[in-house]
Amino acid sequence: MTKINQPFYSTNLSFYIILCISIISIIPLFTIIINSSIIDFDFTLLKNSQFLEYTKNSLIILFFVLCLTFVFGVIPAYLVTFYNFVGVKFFKYSLILSFAIPPYIFGYSLSAFFENYGSGYTLINLIWHTNNANSYLPNFSPIVNTVLSLSFTLYGYVYLLSRTSFVGQSVNLLDLGKSLGFSSYQRFFKIILPCARPGIFIGLSLVAMETLSDFGTVSYFGVSTFTTEIYNSWFIFDDLNTSNFLSLLLLIFVLFFFIVESYSRKNSRFHSLQNEGKRKKQALKGTKNFLATAFCLCLFFFSFVFPFSQMLYWSIKFPEYLANFEILKLNLNTFLLIFFTSFFLISVAIFTNFGNRVLKNRFLNFFSSLSISGYAIPGIIISVSIISFFSLVSSFINFDLKTIFIGSFYGLILGYFFRFYSIAYNGIKSNFLKINYSLDESSYLMGFDKFKTFSTVHWPILNKNIFFIFILIAIEIIKELPITLILRPFNFETFSTRAYNFATQDLIEATAIPSMFLIFWASIFILISFKYFFQDNK
Amino acid sequence: MGNFFEVLDATFSSGNDHEIKNINFAIPQKGNIVCLLGPSGAGKTTILRTIAGLEKLKYGTISLNGKIISSNTLSISPDKRNIALSFQDNCLFPHKNVYQNILLGLERKNRKKFLYSPQELLDLFKLKEVEQKYPHEISSGEAQRVSLARSLISSPDLILLDEPFANIDQILKEDLQKTVKDILKLTKISAIVVTHDPNEAFYLGDKCGIVINNVLKQFDTPYNIYHFPNSLEVVNFLKRGTLLNVRIINRQSLEHKSLGIINGKYGCSNLNQFNEGKTVKLLIQPEDLMHDDKSQLKLKIVDRKFRGTNFIYTLRTPENELLPVLVDSHHQHLHENNEEFGIKTPINIDHLVCFEKK
Repeated sequence: MTKINQPFYSTNLSFYIILCISIISIIPLFTIIINSSIIDFDFTLLKNSQFLEYTKNSLIILFFVLCLTFVFGVIPAYLVTFYNFVGVKFFKYSLILSFAIPPYIFGYSLSAFFENYGSGYTLINLIWHTNNANSYLPNFSPIVNTVLSLSFTLYGYVYLLSRTSFVGQSVNLLDLGKSLGFSSYQRFFKIILPCARPGIFIGLSLVAMETLSDFGTVSYFGVSTFTTEIYNSWFIFDDLNTSNFLSLLLLIFVLFFFIVESYSRKNSRFHSLQNEGKRKKQALKGTKNFLATAFCLCLFFFSFVFPFSQMLYWSIKFPEYLANFEILKLNLNTFLLIFFTSFFLISVAIFTNFGNRVLKNRFLNFFSSLSISGYAIPGIIISVSIISFFSLVSSFINFDLKTIFIGSFYGLILGYFFRFYSIAYNGIKSNFLKINYSLDESSYLMGFDKFKTFSTVHWPILNKNIFFIFILIAIEIIKELPITLILRPFNFETFSTRAYNFATQDLIEATAIPSMFLIFWASIFILISFKYFFQDNK
Repeated sequence: MGNFFEVLDATFSSGNDHEIKNINFAIPQKGNIVCLLGPSGAGKTTILRTIAGLEKLKYGTISLNGKIISSNTLSISPDKRNIALSFQDNCLFPHKNVYQNILLGLERKNRKKFLYSPQELLDLFKLKEVEQKYPHEISSGEAQRVSLARSLISSPDLILLDEPFANIDQILKEDLQKTVKDILKLTKISAIVVTHDPNEAFYLGDKCGIVINNVLKQFDTPYNIYHFPNSLEVVNFLKRGTLLNVRIINRQSLEHKSLGIINGKYGCSNLNQFNEGKTVKLLIQPEDLMHDDKSQLKLKIVDRKFRGTNFIYTLRTPENELLPVLVDSHHQHLHENNEEFGIKTPINIDHLVCFEKK
């Protein structure tokens, strides 16, 4: 008696191609683990006071950022889903514009405003005509600055995901709450919040991963954390081993949030109920109306208007930087990167997903799902691991792969592949999942082969959302700093690297122009894809 | 000449330890319709999916037109089989409207010409009004008809229909059953229809198979399945009639404690396998007993069902057995519950079908 089991191998060519893609995509993880375990590491480093210092910094920043993003994310999501107040429609959409601001650029605006004789000084001087304006401005510590920058730019994750959970909640559930005599306060804490827990956890885990991987902000404010230490030990001390080891430690931290996130995603499927009937929003009156509007307005103002206007103001105030500035070239570079990378990522993702759907091989499916782990790995670690990997391989096969991939366009795209492949893969996958498998079967039964099935059935359904996936990748690439900074070809600049370079040279005024362009393009991308971000409204 | 389509000693499996073993049945000629009847979860759909090539066959063979299409080593891919399957649930392409969905059926490779044009099919299936609508805008019954039309127009050698009329309302259902039967007979397309409705199976099928608990219990003409069910499970599934404890007197007559002697026709029984004097279970169907107000044999009424063309009275024997009796709907007067109800004696039954008493 033999059972028909899926064979471990397959003679299909696409099987091997997909396997290769999956193996390539776990190179960073693999390299770090190998590199940090084979060397004799001096564990006394762990007792080092410096080590304690940046662990402490990372944890403090993480804690406060999580608290703030929770407040900034959940409250407006709750307000715009359940209540009507002045400007509710505007806030519902505009709050996600915060995605257009990278944390480090928010940081530049913060110091631009609060520094001695900065924009804040000018503003106070203009209104009250005092020469003593500097003393009215608070002087934040680097850690406070970092926490603020990260919170105001990352709360969008919590906002979007908790909003989706709220919207997905059954109207019946809330009506039940009302019939049990719960006040709106009780309803929020007893029904709405617990039911949205998985969504909120996903949002917070994403925030945590972004916070731990942040490099631009902490390095600008001079806070020593894991990412800056990894960068310094590699860049300043040329010590790949230490940076690999630190990478491993940081990865263990990140892994925790990655697990929380995956677990919550699984749970959210059980928590989301059919949304019966149309929700009627409750109109807020008087003070409550004012408070809701004021809260959302402040949030929108600080997260988007403040950094953008600051950068705009400086661009106008210091026009001299415009003269020696290759604006066209920067735009071209950035768009070149976006188009190549997203075309590459989306094609690979379509190929793997379609292959997996057709081959139905469990082993392969498992491998492919490993390949999305990249988004949890901080960009700085990916860069370091690409360098270690190619140095290792080059010395092993005695052929200089390093020059082909390090400091070249290929290496840069490979870096983006590791980091952003999951966006393409998950995006395509979720769209493929929406296509019921019986559609494929009925297509086969009408005599269509696999490729005809793809072109007549899958592609017309997929292509509507591919644009959105493209936008998501574009926003990420335009904001990305560490990978671009480390792996880019010599003299190849994007908005983010330009802004960072000026900032490290203490030419903070000069960061305004590249930052403004960066925010401008990212906002455009978000604006044209609004309807995709709020797809659940249909 | 062998059978047009044949399933030989086949074991079907849908993957999760669910096996349907030793299945044998055949479609003798092109254009014949076979119905697979059984309770839900009995594995009928698995059989269809395997015939279509969507699942692998574990043992045995399936052949079409004298060519083996599935065995434990070989499986021709579904797109090359020229077998169409119309799914139970909606599987229309969401990005195409009703008409475009039907047109897709025309794209089968090496397709034979189909008797009807897409427009004619839209008419036949009463889909004219929804022609331009998209799948999410039409009802599930309409979607099922579209899917049916799409499968038919691809002009397959064999069409598999999985509960084709499940979501269609009763009145339209009977029209459609006739339409589909006519189309299939005219175009000489063979069909295997899966259903849990005995009436549908008996109407459509040249032959019917009863699948219960992963076993094909009986495969025969509808007449034989109805009148000569071969096992208690089949009787229970068809839910027609009841079983009475009777003693065998001889090959043509039986005795029941309160009904007395029951006579049968010679040769129309399955009594040969039992010894005389043995107590067995006799299948009584509603049309077997006749009503007679003047009869001496009277039983108490416990229930009355009005079926339009007739009444079914349920009577209780002193042995606590429930007996159905069919009475013409024009019968002059109604009988109420607990009333005594006369049964015409002597009782003559055309088919004596008995089962071993357990």
